[in-house]
Amino acid sequence: MRNPWAQTGNYRTSYVQDTTIFANYREIVSVVLLLVALCILPMFLERSQVLVLNFILIYAIAVLGLNITTGYAGLISVGQAAFMGVGAYTVALSAPNLPFWLTIPLGGLTAAVIGFVVGIPSLRVKHLYLALATLAFQEIFVWVVGRSPALAQGAAIPVEMRNFLGLEIGFRNHNFFWYYVILFVLVLMVMAWRNLLRGKYGRALIAVRDNDRAADAMGMDPGRTKLFAFALGAFYGGIAGGLLAYMQRAVVVEEFTLGRSVALLAMAIVGGLGTVVGSLLGPAFIEFLRLYMERLSEWMKSNAFIQSITPAGVDVASALLPLSFGLVIVLFLVFEPRGLYNWWRLLRSYFRTWPFKY
Amino acid sequence: MIDFIQNLISGVAVGCIYALAALGFVLIYKSSRVINFANGQFIAIGAFMAYALAVWVKLPVLLAALVAMLLTAGLGFLVERVFLRRMVGQPIISVIMVTIGLASVLDGLMYLTPFGSGNFTFPQFLPQGGLNLGGLSISYPQLLAIGFTAIFLVLFSWFFQRSVLGISMRAVADDQMASMSLGVSVQRVFALAWAVAGLTAAAAGIVVGAVSGLNQDGLIAIGLAVFPAVILGGLDSVPGAVVGGIIIGVLQSFSTAYLDGLFSQIGLVGGGSQYVMPFVVLLVMLWFKPHGLFGTEEIERV
Repeated sequence: MRNPWAQTGNYRTSYVQDTTIFANYREIVSVVLLLVALCILPMFLERSQVLVLNFILIYAIAVLGLNITTGYAGLISVGQAAFMGVGAYTVALSAPNLPFWLTIPLGGLTAAVIGFVVGIPSLRVKHLYLALATLAFQEIFVWVVGRSPALAQGAAIPVEMRNFLGLEIGFRNHNFFWYYVILFVLVLMVMAWRNLLRGKYGRALIAVRDNDRAADAMGMDPGRTKLFAFALGAFYGGIAGGLLAYMQRAVVVEEFTLGRSVALLAMAIVGGLGTVVGSLLGPAFIEFLRLYMERLSEWMKSNAFIQSITPAGVDVASALLPLSFGLVIVLFLVFEPRGLYNWWRLLRSYFRTWPFKY
Repeated sequence: MIDFIQNLISGVAVGCIYALAALGFVLIYKSSRVINFANGQFIAIGAFMAYALAVWVKLPVLLAALVAMLLTAGLGFLVERVFLRRMVGQPIISVIMVTIGLASVLDGLMYLTPFGSGNFTFPQFLPQGGLNLGGLSISYPQLLAIGFTAIFLVLFSWFFQRSVLGISMRAVADDQMASMSLGVSVQRVFALAWAVAGLTAAAAGIVVGAVSGLNQDGLIAIGLAVFPAVILGGLDSVPGAVVGGIIIGVLQSFSTAYLDGLFSQIGLVGGGSQYVMPFVVLLVMLWFKPHGLFGTEEIERV
């Protein structure tokens, strides 16, 4: 422990050391450096680039929630986008009357309550059935929103916030303002995530994921633990949805469909299930993939040569996105099921043990 | 009353399509505990292959349908060989996610063909109109759906009761370890289950094509409608898949006829309750009777 450069194993000798959030001062330094870098990053970026960053950070919050339900408790959720939607619509309905620092937690709480209800089957059945329960909720959500006049039948509901503590939020600084709000919320959520999951409840979730009968025999209540996981994951989704509503200045139901839920699940898997670093890397990877595939298909549409060699009726441009997205998921699951987090881990251990291989 | 029976009949016809799609789904689940999220894509690919063979290659429609079913069975076999075999022993979430990724890949591949957008209809191979029984009318496509399902059921029950492969599939579904030690090739059974799933999915797609035309989104949506059917019938029960499929079809038909008005009274505009009712049933079933009507409840030991 004295000399972190020569550390080769686990030298922790007490429970206090074992439960610290950061292993040594280098981790504290690197986290602070990362935060500072994230804070000054927008100064070098344009509005549209900050928008991409905002999306990534918002999805990171949603993926953190998914990592509680799916990564920790092992309950596959294909309804995280619907939980985001619950948060977003709660915000849209309450934004005219309440300040934004109240509406966003309110959205999270509403989503948590609904997540609890959706998770009720977990009292009796496991894995696959729960995936289908969330699938059913996802479909019901989209249908109900798309047909309720109170929710504009799924069309855009404006969510406006024009000033904050005297600061005018207009066209120019909108993305930048929300970048810092989202970053702040993300840091808060990551801290809560880490603290919650290294304690009693997190260990209960892992135990239930690995073998819920054994966990039952050891005195944990698997049903209650799973419900807790569902509600908490939905809470994170609701917060992310609320932020998305403000950031986009509007709520549309297309943002919260099954396809988005699958994309969130893909982010969680590509990043690495059940890890904080993965929850950040996964959304970044998938969003950049989407961005560049869209650019590529734009380019293909405008390029005369490519247009001339593709046969009539063949739509290469719109094939690119689902094709690449699906391939990424399948390839990661086959070759690197632990996700990008594993590369990060290998990189770190390479530098720590250099010049030795391991 | 006559309306009621008419709705019932059209519901049964749609339900037979779901039942066909659900059969393959249940077979895969029963033998290998894999949930196949790419089922809708199989349906679409089978239907488009039949169309391509019938219209472009100019095969007779029934022969085209048969060849397309066999080709889709081959695709199912290939999918199992290339992707699912590597996933044996992996956590369930990875396996499910692989089928979701596969669904996306197949979607992309379909966009590379002219079938990615637009509507297609099979060449007319059934006579126009339908049977008329005392005020009730059954169109020929509806009869085709019901007949196809009946034929498949007979074939399946023969296959599972009499043929060696069918019996070994039942054995694997019952107890993998025991059947392995008795010399059943579990790998071959898995591959066979996927092939049969492809076959039935293609059959479902072809019937949809005959009833209501081919459209990629519409065909893939059937893959989602299968989930309520299999949960209702029991995820691991072949008769359950048929009963569940038919119940869901009838439910959809009835909710269009009787529920849409009710929903508009509570302030939901636009109708279309047929799309959501199966999922409501799915959720309610999971709350109260998660193993379905015919499913087996698992008994677990630590």
